[in-house]
Amino acid sequence: MPSTRRLFLKHSGILLAGALLAGKPASAVAERLAKYFAAEDFATLYAQFIDQRTVIDSDKLNLILPEIAEDGAVVPVSIASELDGIEKLYLFADKNPTPLLAEFELTSLIVPFVTARIKLAESCNVILLAEHNGELLRTSRWVNVMRGGCGTG
Amino acid sequence: MANSIKIRSQRRDGYVEVKLLISHPMENGRNRDANGELIPAHFIEHLLVKLNDQLILTANMAGSISKNPFFTFRLKTGNSGDRLSAEWTDNRQSKDSAEHVLD
Repeated sequence: MPSTRRLFLKHSGILLAGALLAGKPASAVAERLAKYFAAEDFATLYAQFIDQRTVIDSDKLNLILPEIAEDGAVVPVSIASELDGIEKLYLFADKNPTPLLAEFELTSLIVPFVTARIKLAESCNVILLAEHNGELLRTSRWVNVMRGGCGTG
Repeated sequence: MANSIKIRSQRRDGYVEVKLLISHPMENGRNRDANGELIPAHFIEHLLVKLNDQLILTANMAGSISKNPFFTFRLKTGNSGDRLSAEWTDNRQSKDSAEHVLD
């Protein structure tokens, strides 16, 4: 029956569109990450990253790093905030060949507190961006790296 | 890559602190070996942490995280017997996961 065929075509079209839409987020995320983590120039990456949004320097973000790092291959970093509802944290080092160090997606079940160990290629600014209630908050710290290292970062 | 993850938890005043240590080379592809050959990139890309199968923390990273990554974070609440799991995937699509039961 032509009407059934038409119905079938119509529905399969809807299903296909649905499948395409459902499949989009995962690949878009992978694509975005691949692009950002492969970036090699901080200024360009940062401009793309904030995408002309207003960045607010915030004293409510606590970025703790040693002032002098003996070994750039292992630098402890700790991030804390009194703000509730931080959704994402992005950590950058402006002189690293791979400037985006890490991206953390937090949920309401954890306290806004994360520590990690990062590589710093040379003395640089470490920049922290936080997504909080639609605002982009920023703080940064200068770290003197004694032994940066070939290939770190 | 079995047992590459160590998870420890400690109950503190008002939160549960979780420490996560992963054995992984985290090579960024720019280092050279003793013969001057480039060591191919080999690093963790994604880390997922779940509490009782619910996603609580995602970390995306590349070769700028130190070898044998070590992370600390804090759970707002954690009951005795809650299951905490961690799973990583690296750029070669290798995976490993571990589970830890809170005290």
